[in-house]
Amino acid sequence: MKDDKKGIKVTRRSFLKGLGGGAIGTAVISTGLVKANPAEAYSPEVAAGAGIKTALNLKVNGKNYRIDVEHRNTLAEVLRDQLGLTGTKIGCDRGECGACTVIIDGRNMYSCSQLAVWMGGKEILTVEGLAKGDKLDPLQEAFIEHDGAQCGFCTSGQIMSGKALLLKNSKPTEAQARRGLSGNLCRCGNYNREVAAVLAAAAKIS
Amino acid sequence: MAQAQKEFSIVGKRTPRIDAYERVTGQAQYTGDIQLPGMLYARVLRSPHPHAKIVGIDTSKAEKLPGVKTVIHYENAQVPWSSGGLTHKRFIFNNPVRYVGDPVAAVAATDRQIAEDALKLIEVKYEKIPHVLDANEALKPEAAKITPNGNLSVGTGAFSSPIEESWGDLDAGFKEADRVFEDTYITKHVNNAQIERRVSIAKWDAGKLTVFASTQGVSNARTDIAKDFNLPLSKVRVVCKYMGGGFGNKNQAQDYDYMAVVLARASGQPVKLEFTREDDYIGMHGRWASEQRYKIGVKNDGTITAVSLDAVTNMGAYRKQSGNLSGTDFYNIPNFKKVIKAVHTNTVVAANYRAPAYPQSVFGFASFLDQIAHEMGLNPYDMFMKNRAQKYKTKLPFTSNYLEQCIIDGAKRIGWTEKWHKPGAMGGVRKHGIGMALGGYPFRPGLGAATIRLNPDGTAHVLVGVSDIGTGAKSTMAIIASEALGIPLNRIQLTNGDTDATPYSVGESGSRTTAFTGTAVVAAAEDVRRQIFNRAAGQLKAKADELDLRDSEVFVKGDPAQKLPLERVVQNAGELIGRATTNPAFKDAEGKSFAAHFAEVEVDTVTGHVRITRYVAVHDSGTILNRLAAESQIKGGVTQGVGMAFSEELLIDRVTGIPVNPNYRDAKVPTHLEAPEVEVIFIENYDPYGVFGGKVVGEPPITPAVATIANAIFNATGRRFKELPISPEKILRAVQV
Repeated sequence: MKDDKKGIKVTRRSFLKGLGGGAIGTAVISTGLVKANPAEAYSPEVAAGAGIKTALNLKVNGKNYRIDVEHRNTLAEVLRDQLGLTGTKIGCDRGECGACTVIIDGRNMYSCSQLAVWMGGKEILTVEGLAKGDKLDPLQEAFIEHDGAQCGFCTSGQIMSGKALLLKNSKPTEAQARRGLSGNLCRCGNYNREVAAVLAAAAKIS
Repeated sequence: MAQAQKEFSIVGKRTPRIDAYERVTGQAQYTGDIQLPGMLYARVLRSPHPHAKIVGIDTSKAEKLPGVKTVIHYENAQVPWSSGGLTHKRFIFNNPVRYVGDPVAAVAATDRQIAEDALKLIEVKYEKIPHVLDANEALKPEAAKITPNGNLSVGTGAFSSPIEESWGDLDAGFKEADRVFEDTYITKHVNNAQIERRVSIAKWDAGKLTVFASTQGVSNARTDIAKDFNLPLSKVRVVCKYMGGGFGNKNQAQDYDYMAVVLARASGQPVKLEFTREDDYIGMHGRWASEQRYKIGVKNDGTITAVSLDAVTNMGAYRKQSGNLSGTDFYNIPNFKKVIKAVHTNTVVAANYRAPAYPQSVFGFASFLDQIAHEMGLNPYDMFMKNRAQKYKTKLPFTSNYLEQCIIDGAKRIGWTEKWHKPGAMGGVRKHGIGMALGGYPFRPGLGAATIRLNPDGTAHVLVGVSDIGTGAKSTMAIIASEALGIPLNRIQLTNGDTDATPYSVGESGSRTTAFTGTAVVAAAEDVRRQIFNRAAGQLKAKADELDLRDSEVFVKGDPAQKLPLERVVQNAGELIGRATTNPAFKDAEGKSFAAHFAEVEVDTVTGHVRITRYVAVHDSGTILNRLAAESQIKGGVTQGVGMAFSEELLIDRVTGIPVNPNYRDAKVPTHLEAPEVEVIFIENYDPYGVFGGKVVGEPPITPAVATIANAIFNATGRRFKELPISPEKILRAVQV
């Protein structure tokens, strides 16, 4: 390997790009991995997934969208850039921080780690879909009352993980609430508040 | 006892933030959420070498990639970045490159994937230069030179090196001592790691530049951009309405803002430049690492007679901030000398992270004091109480100081007397420990400006230049306005963070917003009130100075039954505008917020894992303007301290100089599972120089947290940890001797 080029590095994106380049199979995966490396071997025309689009029925917050998505775009990117639902944040874009958490078929998941093309037929709920008209979800109210947001950048993700937890377990203990939110980082260190808000919302709905 | 609180209508209550609704519904628009028509996306290519000359750069393949609009690098974009390098000149692209991560080029393309693809097509020929990664090695004469003057980072004023400060007579102080102790403490580079990645959007309209920045200070960012692009301030607008954290590494304008500006000018289109998380870890800065060599003289009763601190701080390849160490600030030290060498190495830049000069040196100094107490057979409580700061640098009085009360109340709350035991005295596998340390942060007044527009229906519009990095500054400004005006909070609107619309603000760094801008809000409110009272005087048949305004009612102070609703007074006024630029100063005094922290831990001697079972943080921040947000700040500061104490460190490969863990998972940022429940106690008092008696809140809580935890681990294990982070591995090695 020439040392004046980018080193061997498989980013999560290039890996996902590989997966998104066509049907999931070893050939495509290896394309993604190999092509992430030296410039000589890198052909932009076959950059995995570039420009390849599929028409998709996406159901978000109860609304049906018919959109063309590029295969290599993640759900987080499509929500934010194509649907304008920017309440879902991207903090790390590599499945670590949880700022992009949405609820997919009842489970909290990192939308930066899901390709949009995988989302056909699934029910997606984002932070924008929690309130019923002007009526906030009890969890959103609890986040306001308990100062659940400092800078607010991780807040949507914390709320969506909290919501997913409450959907499964309407009376979590404090330990269960912590566990339920543990995939969501908060660098402001507002963890006490976020857990308190989930517990307060649970008390309110039960 | 703390001075009695004044009567307030909203100050001191638990007030949810004024923008909480926007934040919990996803409606808050952060910089990265902004989409402009025709906007391009940009990415940055960084050096893979710690020190190298660029001998050739070929961008032709990248430029041919469909969708790529502009590629910039050191040859075609020589823009100085003044605030990025204070001792040797720094540009947005530098040749030679001086650390792994130094920007080499930036690409703007029609989407972010194409921009990323294009980075791989840029061919750069480097000629490696010898490099140096270790700060002590860097000071040796044979070390590779990073700046023309060598590796001691010699600048002027706060950016001198060595940073030297002394008072009293050090030799006499050590002679006076019954015992003299010497030891070394080491801290590591820790990234700020705010969740919002760096992003900047620049657009040019007919010679006017607008930058949607993610900055802690729109005014300073505008000044920086205007200076380095040689533009009048009137041609630069910087906007930041919502800000996703920074903790000191989004002060002012940064190189990525500049790159977006250049790319937008070259392409003729708006450009959004986004960092990846890896970019964020290596491309900006974290807290400076340090090696602190202390010599401390004490009398048999524990009284400190002299302290000398000889230290080296690793600032990385460029000097952006002081590199100072100030953890001795909270103690009474009659004879003192410190010499701190801020040093350049070929590593990631180090600069401000929440209370920049404190947690690392509070860890060193308070750990050492705790150790000295142990060696002299003293209870650490007595050691800290006896030596606590009572005057600023032993001379000037503080504007207020309730540190003693912090220590007393915290010890009582945690049960120090009952729970403290001899270090390492507990049997069993899981060992209990208890520890404490002192901290705080400077408080001072300064330049601020504010405008208040009173609408004819009696609602008020407050305009302030603050960004809100999570401290609740917007809410604090609205609360101050509400209190000062006598108008309820729900009748107050606030516009922030737009240099075209809002007045100067210092920027949210150094815990200065409340004191600097808050003072101006009070003065602007007084200006509006004068105008209201002049209008109401005739209607209420009283003199203007006999009137007061509370809860949106204007009334005669001596006869409150004589009153008018505010809207009646101003209904035909069009609009009343109050404004102020203020710049108060201390007279023969210095200010400081103080804190005493206490922790109990349980150290598992089989796994090396430490659980914080109780944490009590007691703070003297004067009057607390918003109890809800202030408590959150304290809790958050402690949590960041937990990460620094146990796990966080940016690791640099010793051979290649490559950072090996530039991401959340591997740099080990604390999660919900590591965060202790933090009990917060405020010793309320009224500081005469504070806005409604308030001092500073944001930075103090991280300062004593690391030392408090380290001292509790010592109490549990009887082992002193002198190097951060105190990882399970280090604990196991120490306890299994």
